[in-house]
Amino acid sequence: MIVLFIPCAFYLNLSATQFAEGIARIPDIAKQFLQISLDDLPKLLTELLTSVIIAFLSVVISVIVALLLSFVIADTTAPNRHVAKVLRVIVVIIRTIPTTIWVLLAVASMGFGSMAGVLGLLFPTTSFLIKSFTAQIDEAGKDSVEAIRALGGTWWHVVCNGAIPTLYSTFLALIAFNFEMTVAETVILGMVGAGGIGVLLQEYISYYEFAPLLMGILVVFITLFLLEMMTNQIRKRLNSQAR
Amino acid sequence: MTILLEIKGLTKRYNAGTVALDGIDLQVKSKEFIAVIGPSGAGKSTLLRCINRLVEPTSGSIDFLGQHVEKANSRDLRHVRSQIGMIFQHYNLVSRLSVLENVLHGRLGYMSSIAGVFNRYSEEDKKKAIALLHKVGLENEVYKRADELSGGQKQRVGVCRALAQQPQLILADEPIASLDPKSSAVVMDAIHRNCAEQGIACLVNLHQVEVAKQYASRIIGIKNGKMVFDGPPEALTDYHTALIYEGKESQMYQQQVAEEQPSPTGRKYA
Repeated sequence: MIVLFIPCAFYLNLSATQFAEGIARIPDIAKQFLQISLDDLPKLLTELLTSVIIAFLSVVISVIVALLLSFVIADTTAPNRHVAKVLRVIVVIIRTIPTTIWVLLAVASMGFGSMAGVLGLLFPTTSFLIKSFTAQIDEAGKDSVEAIRALGGTWWHVVCNGAIPTLYSTFLALIAFNFEMTVAETVILGMVGAGGIGVLLQEYISYYEFAPLLMGILVVFITLFLLEMMTNQIRKRLNSQAR
Repeated sequence: MTILLEIKGLTKRYNAGTVALDGIDLQVKSKEFIAVIGPSGAGKSTLLRCINRLVEPTSGSIDFLGQHVEKANSRDLRHVRSQIGMIFQHYNLVSRLSVLENVLHGRLGYMSSIAGVFNRYSEEDKKKAIALLHKVGLENEVYKRADELSGGQKQRVGVCRALAQQPQLILADEPIASLDPKSSAVVMDAIHRNCAEQGIACLVNLHQVEVAKQYASRIIGIKNGKMVFDGPPEALTDYHTALIYEGKESQMYQQQVAEEQPSPTGRKYA
């Protein structure tokens, strides 16, 4: 690794002088950066709310779709092996395309704004949830599925009376985790036009308005931090229930 | 005694080449209590799971009350399965639900999808379920969550769930393998007594030969996917047992089931 480092550094034209000059400039920029302006706070908070709502809507729709599809795709509960395989391939393809590309596609087809954000985020969120759900179904759901199948239950019995009650807590924990992830993504993707606070942040960066930018970053940081604490609490309580 | 189950030439071959079952012929008559013994990996589990097609047999015929199980479509298969109760080594209960709801699941085979999904069990079903739980000594646990119970209690719930199906046949796959000797006795008694009282035939996988001799009216020995013994417990000599467990003798003597002591009040279960 160390041996490869030097040729790689040369390849990218990394120059030690450039690095040194950059470091020398930091105190200046830091001074400019450290001005917080509370003027834009209301605007920032509104846009932040928009971001969170975009993420929320996206996750809600994704959960509904993922729940329906996961039980069709999971090995344990698949009613038809061939359909399951085809669907699984489609999900893998969707998941391989990066989230940013999905959102860019959405923006390109319907213009900037929240709509593009929600629709663009649907695909990566749904595929992530499907992957997580099917893994849980095949692992923790096997025993109860086998029992309900053995006593003559229909596919609906197997899923609704067996798998879902067994996996309820785990699914909720996964959804909470996914929501947290999606909010973080939404903030960033605002910068490519998905709406929400990212749009504002992108403006501030373009016009070098460091004061509101820092305020914005602070606001985002606090929100994500609070969200993470909330989801940790939820997951802790769900896990202690699950035993 | 009518013939409940007729198995001819049952074979299960896995893709990797493993032969789990090699031409099993078996007849089960009503009211028989059959213990299937053999070392781990002999094919006991596969045999039971082929009977209700949780595992697809490679070839052979399985005839249950006139129905060809191996050829049945999904509706007929459902019907067959509702007539066959199954008890699992790891209980296979739905942990979050109450004991009562778990037992009521036994009725799902007789209910439509919609009725089952919305838990529309009849009052009679509920009364019968509670009565079953009383009989095995779980009347104080009826509304508790299934994961609050001990292993022996969970298995008794599993027994009640199978009995709630009012089956003709019960398949028990190593029901006491995960239990201590006292709980094992309680569970085996619960299975044996209910099957005898209600005229239900039973196929129990056991790896404890002594337990098999204690409860069964007929013993079947499986070794490497083939049936090597079929007869009453008295006929199972040490020679036969040694033959069945050849190479895996350590598995013969695991766990002796404790003798059941009747309590002074006449109630047998804690």
